[in-house]
Amino acid sequence: MNYDNVEILFVEDSADDAMLTIRALGKSGFTNKLLHVKDGTEAIDFLYCKGIYTTRNSKTQPRLILLDLKMPKVSGMQVLEKVKSDPDLKSIPVVILTSSSEDPDIARCYALGANSYIVKPVESDNFFNAIKEIGLYWMVLSQSDNL
Amino acid sequence: MDNKKAEAAVGHNIEPALTGEKEILEAELLFANKELAFQDVEIESRAAELIIANKELVYQNEEKEKRAAELFIANKELVFQNEEKEKRAAELIVANKELAFQNEEKEKRAAELVVANRELAYQNEEKEKRAAELIIANNELAFQNEEKEKRAAELSLANQELKTAQDAIRKLNDELEQKVIQRTTQLETANKELGSFSYSVSHDLRAPIRAINGYTKILEEDYADKLDSSGLAILHSILRNSTKMGNLIDDLLAFSKLGRKEVTHCAIDMNELVRLVKDELLFETGENIPEYIMIDLPDARGDQSLIKQVWINLISNAIKYSKHKKHTSIEIGGFLKDGKIVYYVKDQGAGFDMQYYDKLFGVFQRLHSQEEFDGTGIGLAIVEKIVRRHNGNVWAESTVNEGACFYFSLPVIDVEKSY
Repeated sequence: MNYDNVEILFVEDSADDAMLTIRALGKSGFTNKLLHVKDGTEAIDFLYCKGIYTTRNSKTQPRLILLDLKMPKVSGMQVLEKVKSDPDLKSIPVVILTSSSEDPDIARCYALGANSYIVKPVESDNFFNAIKEIGLYWMVLSQSDNL
Repeated sequence: MDNKKAEAAVGHNIEPALTGEKEILEAELLFANKELAFQDVEIESRAAELIIANKELVYQNEEKEKRAAELFIANKELVFQNEEKEKRAAELIVANKELAFQNEEKEKRAAELVVANRELAYQNEEKEKRAAELIIANNELAFQNEEKEKRAAELSLANQELKTAQDAIRKLNDELEQKVIQRTTQLETANKELGSFSYSVSHDLRAPIRAINGYTKILEEDYADKLDSSGLAILHSILRNSTKMGNLIDDLLAFSKLGRKEVTHCAIDMNELVRLVKDELLFETGENIPEYIMIDLPDARGDQSLIKQVWINLISNAIKYSKHKKHTSIEIGGFLKDGKIVYYVKDQGAGFDMQYYDKLFGVFQRLHSQEEFDGTGIGLAIVEKIVRRHNGNVWAESTVNEGACFYFSLPVIDVEKSY
């Protein structure tokens, strides 16, 4: 995969959720420019061109980060904090994906500069629609920003 | 004078002498002469007497003048004395008047003194009476004083007992406060644990159900042509059940969140709130659109978003349980009763059997089958919990197949007191 063409960085540790999310986004036609990483460490590596991504062109950054909160090692919150405190990265919209509206970190995510959050619905139609809509919304918005 | 008389007599006597009567005349002349001589003597003696008398008169005159002078002096003296006496009399009149005035004043004063005297006498009597009374009062006070001393001694004793009791209470209070602090901490910990438990439940239970539901959906979308009708029916069952399980988890979390949520109080325009709830209701095609009978609702104070949820649940229920009827008629009203505001939602739907009334507000308790009316059985439990958290009550009455009426009451909150 050409890492320089990545438009959506999707950070999700759950293979099931990842599969369903990618399927939902695929219906909007975004999947060929989507990179799924399985934890926060990998997300940071990608954004800072480290680890397996050292050869990546640091000039091109994704236009949207879909970030799951509950991940082992480096959590979504830590990734968010790093992105939003970096002048070169903070303009990238970050959409938080969470399994629960009870998540105590939601308020903190907004304080750190998260642009949206989605409570992943159980019902698959709702889930697919929510992912599709939020993906479309931010991709269109960040595209118009770039123009 | 005597001489003139004598001449007149002579002249008279000449006339008869013409006829010879010279002798008579002569005798008479003689006689007259003699007479005259006598008279002369007489005159002389008379003159002497007159001289004497004159001297006497002069003397007398002198005497009289002396006397007059004396009288004059005496007169002046008398005039002076008279004036003095008049002055004295005037002074006496003045003095008299003064005395009369003083006399009057003294009489007045005397009268006043009499009055004052009586007054003093009266006061004296009063003072004596008062003194007598004071003596009685004094005795009474002395008695009371003794009583008070006795009482004071008793109070002192009671006070000591009270102090002992107070110390005990204070000690108990301190212990109680410690216990309250301890319990509060425990409760706060429990609450936090419940919060994180809710989070775990919702996070960890939802994820696998979401996966089941999502994969089944993919199966249905991508492999429908490889399954027969019973295979497809099974896929639908999996979808329906996993969706329901998701809803149950969401409802359960919403319900447990209610217990932890802070209830705020603000003025609620109840008519407006119910209008909003009715406007936001969504209906599927073929569903009965309810006909509302609105009775004016009293305003109340409460947590607007929570009270809104109560109306949503009650009105949705009324619609849901009326769906097998030809028409849906819902009456919404409110009234004041026993110092509380009571609201109600009345329908003409399926109703419920009052025999199972005690299960009506229970969590996940259902009085109808899922096939007849869908639902998770949390709606009325949420209604009850919200109303209880507002210090109100919920109750209901129903006749099977005729309809149900759900009531909830809210306290009348005095704004002055609560703020």
